[in-house]
Amino acid sequence: MTAPAATTGDLEPSSPEPQSRERESRFSAGIIFSLPAALLLTLFMVIPFGFALVLSFTNRKLLSPLATRWVGFDNYVDVLTDSGFWGAIKNNLVFSIVTVPVQSALALLLAILVNQKLRGSVFFRVVYFLPITFSLSAASIIWLVLLNPSGMVNTVLEVFTFGAFSPDWLNNPTYTMAAVILVSLWASVGFQMVILLAALQDVPRVLYEAASVDGASAWGQFRNVTLPGIRHQLFFVITITMILSFRLFDQVWILPPRPGGPVDATNTIMVELVDTGFGAGQVGKGSAIAVLFFLLVLFLTIFQRRFEPKDL
Amino acid sequence: MSHAPRKFSRLLAILFAFTLLAAACGGDDGDGEGAGSEEGSGSEEGSGSEEAAGGDAAAPCDGNIDGPVTLTLTSHGSGDAYTGAVADFNAGPGTELGVTVELIDLGEAGYEDFIVAAAASGDLPDIIDMDGPFLYNFAWNGFVQPLGNCVPDGSLDDFLPSIISQGTYNGELYSLGAFDSGMGIWAKRSVLEANDIRIPETSEDAWTVDEFDTILRTLQDSGISSPLDIKWFYGAGEWRPYGFAPIIQSAGGDIINRSDFQSAEGALNGPEAVAAMTTFQTWAQDGLLDLEAVDDTPFIEGDVPLSWVGHWMYGAYKEALGDDLVLVPLPDFGTGSKAGMGSWNYAMATGDADPDAVWAFIEFVTSPEQVKIIADAESAVPALRSVLAADPTFQPGGDRYLYVLNLEAAPDIAFPRPATPAYGAIRDAFSDALADIVAGADVQETLDKAVAEIDADIAANDGYPTQ
Repeated sequence: MTAPAATTGDLEPSSPEPQSRERESRFSAGIIFSLPAALLLTLFMVIPFGFALVLSFTNRKLLSPLATRWVGFDNYVDVLTDSGFWGAIKNNLVFSIVTVPVQSALALLLAILVNQKLRGSVFFRVVYFLPITFSLSAASIIWLVLLNPSGMVNTVLEVFTFGAFSPDWLNNPTYTMAAVILVSLWASVGFQMVILLAALQDVPRVLYEAASVDGASAWGQFRNVTLPGIRHQLFFVITITMILSFRLFDQVWILPPRPGGPVDATNTIMVELVDTGFGAGQVGKGSAIAVLFFLLVLFLTIFQRRFEPKDL
Repeated sequence: MSHAPRKFSRLLAILFAFTLLAAACGGDDGDGEGAGSEEGSGSEEGSGSEEAAGGDAAAPCDGNIDGPVTLTLTSHGSGDAYTGAVADFNAGPGTELGVTVELIDLGEAGYEDFIVAAAASGDLPDIIDMDGPFLYNFAWNGFVQPLGNCVPDGSLDDFLPSIISQGTYNGELYSLGAFDSGMGIWAKRSVLEANDIRIPETSEDAWTVDEFDTILRTLQDSGISSPLDIKWFYGAGEWRPYGFAPIIQSAGGDIINRSDFQSAEGALNGPEAVAAMTTFQTWAQDGLLDLEAVDDTPFIEGDVPLSWVGHWMYGAYKEALGDDLVLVPLPDFGTGSKAGMGSWNYAMATGDADPDAVWAFIEFVTSPEQVKIIADAESAVPALRSVLAADPTFQPGGDRYLYVLNLEAAPDIAFPRPATPAYGAIRDAFSDALADIVAGADVQETLDKAVAEIDADIAANDGYPTQ
């Protein structure tokens, strides 16, 4: 960790000292090991993205007998002046702002619960993880029925609220995003839970023992032992939840009466992208949305890295 | 933290390098007339249709089928009637001619997306089954070619005129179907009679919108919470323009200006359309429309007395209700009752399949015997007059006579979906707008937005110039 970054990038073998030779061979081993992944990433991510970048400056259609031509920044101007796009960004942000903290906290809570040495904890681990194994689109179809105005969700709610609260989740724009968030939490919290569960089991037991000898309360142990012990994994969970939350698509495509509806209440950047690029066949404009989407997520990820916990 | 900007600038540098590289490739692509594979298939198909339209290749059939041919056919359903038709063809005329047809069932949901994706990857079937209005976009894109001289003189005489006009684009016949469609309200006669509700028999005699409003409220007051089933659970897609654009057309608007198909301005968002859609929204908000149904049981079990739907429910409804079932026209929103028309039909894909073999199958599947089987299976209006005449339910006094009357009065009552390559965009914009209106959005704003979307699509395609 003490090696200056410049040396790694500098391939000039200035002096054949043993230390530098060793570093060089480690460097080439690193290159070789990362080659398969790098190749696949280049093939399936970098090159397609390069194409998207180029196509975003054309009026390319998915299919059209008309010739493709360069249109400069027209697509970007179109997208950035379209209120639908900004509405989609707003919806994405609302979704992220709610799900990232709630889902991470819920995942941590579940992880701590199923980490207890209790009878049946394995059963609960499986139950909480189970939704991850379902395809999101299939799960959305089931939720479509559960969220029907006279479906199971409302039947239960009516019992608890004495009939005062039973909204039309999917047809009323006020509640649709809430329904989407609910389904998303259910569907994906198990993934974060498993990561945090592994992290929890990695925290040395001796630290807890030492803490309890020192008379730390349960809350004190959680704050001063658990949280510092899993901070890297927790940070990873928060980052990955944020990135995944921006890819919100399956639920908002299937649950509402129309993709992104009703009244654009659940329209997301991914819906805009698919509607434009495939639905309307405007590959050029769709590519412009993809590029802007990439820049947004890149910016947020870089911004988030500023808060990455440092090693002690 | 000092690493971050450096990493970022390195990333940018790499991206920039890629841009230059890809730009160089892209430049080639443009100049070199289709160096890329996508470009290649696109321009190939384009020129194919140009030739066909240009006259030189307007005679695809040469009367011979050279050697054994295997044809692929995509279908929107795998019911017995369709698999049966293919099996009968393969066992009968197919064996004689050396032609085998292979059925690829894609299901109805997202069907057009499959075809577009297949075209994009240069993987079109030889015979395409498609819902009527998609023909025009497929023809414009050059996916399908005119039937031209494959159709022998006089062989179209038995077809309903609506089938021929649906299959015609740019003055050329591209497709033929085995059935046409019918649209109306299936009603439970006993419930209407018990509430002293008049039962109209023809579209001229249809309930006015005010009358229909009163009928819905009367039924609701009689204890039926949501008396009108509108198959809302069909979801986004073809059902919404097919089933509900007649409201706007009956009010005096339309989903596109049909004079030149260049804009929906004034047609879809004019005062007539807004008034009609506002009425529809009121019905939704007052709970008169059944938006909660998840299947057909409410009408079948008699919980809901009115079902706003197409011909395809006749079989199931007749079985459930028997003589209590009656078909009434859609209400008149101002300029007379309208109804949807048109349905699935078969076209010849542009490609190297033997056109004579393709025609042999299309001819077989539109023969009286097959039309009878398929139309019965779909509960649809047979595409051939001879088959229609033999079915008593389509004669005066019969259960489905209204469909025939409406089709005969096309386009004054049965109203074709617009024959424009922009239909997909119109369908999507209208489908979204209807969902938003039902959800309570401002009607004028929603329709203005739909118009903007349609017009933007037409502009993005340079007005869909005739090829």
